[in-house]
Amino acid sequence: MNGLATGSGPPGRTRPLPPAGVVRPVVTGVGVLSAAGYGLAALTEATTHGKAAFGPVTRFDVGARRTTRAALLPATAAPGGTLAPVAALAPVGSAPPDGPTPPDGTASARAVRSAEAALDAIDQACRQAGLTAAEGATLPVLLALHSDEHTRATADAVAAGVRAGWGAPGVTRVYTGACVAASTAVADAAALVAAGRHERALVAAVHLVGPGVFAVFDAGRALARDGELRPFSAGRTGTLLGDAAAAVLVEAAPAAERRAAPVLARLAGWGRAGDAHHVCRPEPDGTGAARAIEAALGRAGVDPAEVGYVNANGTGSTLADLAEARALRRVFGRHTGELPVSSSKSVHGHALEASALLELAVTIGALGTGLLPVNAGWLGPDPDVDLDLVLDGPRAARPRYALSLNSAFGGANTALLLAPG
Amino acid sequence: MTPTTTMTTPADDPHGLRVLAEARRPAPGLDGPPPPLPGFAASGFNPLVADTAERCLRAVHGEPPAPGRTALLLASASGDLDTARAIEQSTEPGRRTGPLLFFQSNPNAVLGHISARWGLTGPVVAICPAEAEPGRVPAEAYELAALLLADGDADRVLVVAVEQTPDGDRAAAVLLSAPPT
Repeated sequence: MNGLATGSGPPGRTRPLPPAGVVRPVVTGVGVLSAAGYGLAALTEATTHGKAAFGPVTRFDVGARRTTRAALLPATAAPGGTLAPVAALAPVGSAPPDGPTPPDGTASARAVRSAEAALDAIDQACRQAGLTAAEGATLPVLLALHSDEHTRATADAVAAGVRAGWGAPGVTRVYTGACVAASTAVADAAALVAAGRHERALVAAVHLVGPGVFAVFDAGRALARDGELRPFSAGRTGTLLGDAAAAVLVEAAPAAERRAAPVLARLAGWGRAGDAHHVCRPEPDGTGAARAIEAALGRAGVDPAEVGYVNANGTGSTLADLAEARALRRVFGRHTGELPVSSSKSVHGHALEASALLELAVTIGALGTGLLPVNAGWLGPDPDVDLDLVLDGPRAARPRYALSLNSAFGGANTALLLAPG
Repeated sequence: MTPTTTMTTPADDPHGLRVLAEARRPAPGLDGPPPPLPGFAASGFNPLVADTAERCLRAVHGEPPAPGRTALLLASASGDLDTARAIEQSTEPGRRTGPLLFFQSNPNAVLGHISARWGLTGPVVAICPAEAEPGRVPAEAYELAALLLADGDADRVLVVAVEQTPDGDRAAAVLLSAPPT
């Protein structure tokens, strides 16, 4: 598949078509736990209508922090909507990690809770896809997690769960690359499927807001001072963290067709590129993000004018939102003015390593309903941004292609290009 | 040890990749800690990543920038334990969380330092391999580098493998490209 990415170039340039014989990846299962509730339907409902899910943090002490709000899993985010705390989320069809749940606040308790949430999302995705144990036996599992002292324990617990629940060999790889960890995993899963190395691959991710990450984001003045996440808006003051567990099953289109699995969306293209600019600040003109988008479009053989929705990274950061807007203008040129854009982080918060998978799920939900999600938290236009943001209410549209964009510390950028199933 | 530059044949590498250069730390003559990295504190992890990457890139390119699209792949089973512990401790009652910990709270930050210095515009990726021998690049990192090269978003991949252990920190780096077709 060498040479499919086009690199940078002006909008509308001729792009190489993918070579014949490349297997097309599709998404046949999605699972989600988010601050909006249990499952993709709850997330789609909240993001479609811009129902922000932020509230006071009660999980740990935030009394010494400048910002005290986040989007946490509600007690009802459990199978069937029954009232249950996160710690009690029992993965359906999967064996829970060994032993009883450790006491609150301990490192192992956090690992168990994270694994339980991830396994629940995995279970949703695999059930929707109609995966059998025989198909699970060769299933690569790519898992995105925060890098800390609990990473390996969480991965081991997820591995035990997918072995017991789906017969999978375990967790194939753990991605820890911050806010593009999950989208990088999706791109790699798509590459594995497209190259014919696997018929399907499972991507999962989880991030539950914890005291350490909350403290460093607060210390770094990255959190919104006014307690609202306002992507691309005048007066935006930063981001807000959010809980999420998500999973998608990426599958070769012929394999999905053969077993009559539901095709929720086609994964038409993917791109990954670096800014080469700074440890944490984005390249101001968005050149790295633009290269990632162009790689995704080029891989799919899609012209920018064919893209009808962008689920933006849109963290609510002054600098990052501006750089992303410039990246979009760089790629889409005149088409930018008629390209609907929204950041669903304004509803579900920034789920860090799980954010890209959560937003991929949002985008799949929007393609399914034909309603583009609202960019919530809007106060007024930032003249430097100048995007066609989805405001006030959901916008009815049936885009041929939709992009889900993510960027991270280190100047990492990813673009995932989806088409309706 | 002066980093070695080895031009191997594809058959020399079990993953079918061409090894353009490699570097390790510690090594003979490089037993002490790496030089401090401005903007990073509380942990030897990030200076070690930066120094090992620097030596590997210098072996091939001399001075920045590196041409073409080079991906950065950090592989660490331990992760930056010192930073993780510093963050956890900073949340204890009466303690303060320093703003520098925000920048280095994930492993991508130091990769941003390397990519900015050398102009590396390929993918920026970090993984936690299941099996890692300190001082060696894990097989999983070679496999992922091969996937990135075959998928077309990078022309070369710089892999940096770093482990923090009770016996000290160890790092190894390799600069890889696809074999000539």
